[in-house]
Amino acid sequence: MALKLEILSPQEIAYQGDVDLCILPGTEGDFGILNNHMPFLTSLRIGIVYIYINKKLSETFLVTGGIVEVSDNKCTLLTEEICKSSTITSGQQIEEDSEEIKKIKLKALEKFHYS
Amino acid sequence: MPSLKDLRNRISSVKSTKKITSAMKMVAAAKLKRAQENAERTRPYAEKMKEIVLSLTGKVNKSNFKFGQKPNANNDKKIVLLVICSSDRGLCGGFNGSIIKYTKKIVSEVSEKGKGLKYIFVGKKAYLSLKRFCGDSILEQIQDFANPTIKFELAGDVRDKILKLFMNNEISECHLIYTEFKSAISQTVKSQKLLPVEEEESDDQQNKSSSTYEYEPSEEELLDQIIPKNIAIQIHSGLLENLASEQGSRMTAMDNATRNADDMIDNLTLFYNRSRQALITKELIEIISGAEAV
Repeated sequence: MALKLEILSPQEIAYQGDVDLCILPGTEGDFGILNNHMPFLTSLRIGIVYIYINKKLSETFLVTGGIVEVSDNKCTLLTEEICKSSTITSGQQIEEDSEEIKKIKLKALEKFHYS
Repeated sequence: MPSLKDLRNRISSVKSTKKITSAMKMVAAAKLKRAQENAERTRPYAEKMKEIVLSLTGKVNKSNFKFGQKPNANNDKKIVLLVICSSDRGLCGGFNGSIIKYTKKIVSEVSEKGKGLKYIFVGKKAYLSLKRFCGDSILEQIQDFANPTIKFELAGDVRDKILKLFMNNEISECHLIYTEFKSAISQTVKSQKLLPVEEEESDDQQNKSSSTYEYEPSEEELLDQIIPKNIAIQIHSGLLENLASEQGSRMTAMDNATRNADDMIDNLTLFYNRSRQALITKELIEIISGAEAV
């Protein structure tokens, strides 16, 4: 039975699936969670979450702190803010994206404004 | 008796009202769907958080952590903070009315026990109607919060304010008042205790399964970090439910209004036709009796 990882944020389920290993930035030091880990509850600091599948690094996330619970081969990460590392590029890119999103939001707003 | 022209005007004005209400119903239905999706997306996070907090509070000595009952702070003058969620816009049936009624009930209950009150309003409508009722004890009012979506940062801001007041001993309790979304036609106003955190009766099974956990750092320190997060998510999901309820309530209200407008148009049209016929008959009688006289 593989380790099930679930990353939850108030906005979405950021990640859900079976992993070999995940490395998390704990407040008292980084730690890795493998299969059959003992029940464990700890808090996170700002840092990067590494997810390994098939002995290869598959994904990385940036978290701004949170809580991790491990029990019965299930690892649940609760975080208020999360960002997939692949979506982070240069500052320029982010600026453009947010402009575009702003425009879309404005358009939607005009459409739904009725009062 | 109104003239035929008056009647025609009235019918056309009711017709245009009907157009507006049915359009509003459609918009509310679309918004309701989105609001429900948003509320659904926070649910896994909120549920897990609740589970963790429950398992932790069962294990921690109450007086040892920051956000528990304060044993001897402000005992004679307790102040309760109410965070009241309402909508920014009207025309949503009894939605805001029931929030206001519920709030007044809570206020009278609390002041009967000799406790003071303070308020934070999220949403314009409850603030406007309770402004005079509450007087100077309004700490903050937040408007235009759901535009276009409710951001998690808002809940964080409110949480920070509440915790600051609590740590400075300015308040001893905090309740969140919001409308729980059951379905598009049924919503109930609810209040939820945010602070102080109390040990809840959890069943034995849950305690057993969590008894083998290893905590890092200690349970108390963990709880001190988790409670603020838990309060934020409680406020956030309360606001989301509130928004979904608002849209559901508006949808039903507008549906009713559209149907009422239909009834009114039917009645008015009948009355209009009757009056028109009566007028024609009267004219005919006049002509005929005139002809007979000659």
